[in-house]
Amino acid sequence: MVTKRSVSLVDEVATAVEEAAKQDGVSFSAWLSSAAEKQLRVRQGLRGVAAWEGETGSLSAEEVAAGEALLARLRSGVSGVASRVRRR
Amino acid sequence: MSPVRREGLVYGVGALHAAARGDRMMWALHRAALSNGIVPVIPAVAVAEGYRTEARGDRIAELLDGTEVEPFSSEAARRSGELAARCDTTELAVIAVIELADRRNCAVVAQRQAVLRNAAALLGHELVLYAV
Repeated sequence: MVTKRSVSLVDEVATAVEEAAKQDGVSFSAWLSSAAEKQLRVRQGLRGVAAWEGETGSLSAEEVAAGEALLARLRSGVSGVASRVRRR
Repeated sequence: MSPVRREGLVYGVGALHAAARGDRMMWALHRAALSNGIVPVIPAVAVAEGYRTEARGDRIAELLDGTEVEPFSSEAARRSGELAARCDTTELAVIAVIELADRRNCAVVAQRQAVLRNAAALLGHELVLYAV
């Protein structure tokens, strides 16, 4: 099912979305819908992390930084196996 | 040859187990991914295996809240089945992870398993793995 909504976008954003949708081979609406879906998933996911932290204790600044560093290492594409940075 | 930058993360069953046992590094990595606008992906067959083998389904659900569960399409099933045959393994949940990582250019978060490495080698895929 699809809901029709009238939305306003900043000109530059609308142009960029149009180009991206063309490159991805989807419609303007489908591209926007997909972007919104991803954003909602991120939001929901961070709520899941917060729920886990509520049960076990918040991640410390050091742990958050270690997670960021590990993500950067994995995304860099250097092949091999990353070892644990820190566990508690 | 310079390394190929990865678009995102694929979780295997090991990632679900790590989250369920409260592995803080796993949760810190998951948080980092989401904070950077990356939604980790997991094949549906790995989710099924996770629920089959893990008692803490509530923790799995919390992790899956921020994860895209990719349905096992007929094409992915065919590729995974053929790859499993070449690897001489019945570990379809593991094979589906490497098939997905190869197709979507992702790093893998999973247990260290020989079958993962064998499958990657057969695909010619440079495996980038965080072993949980």
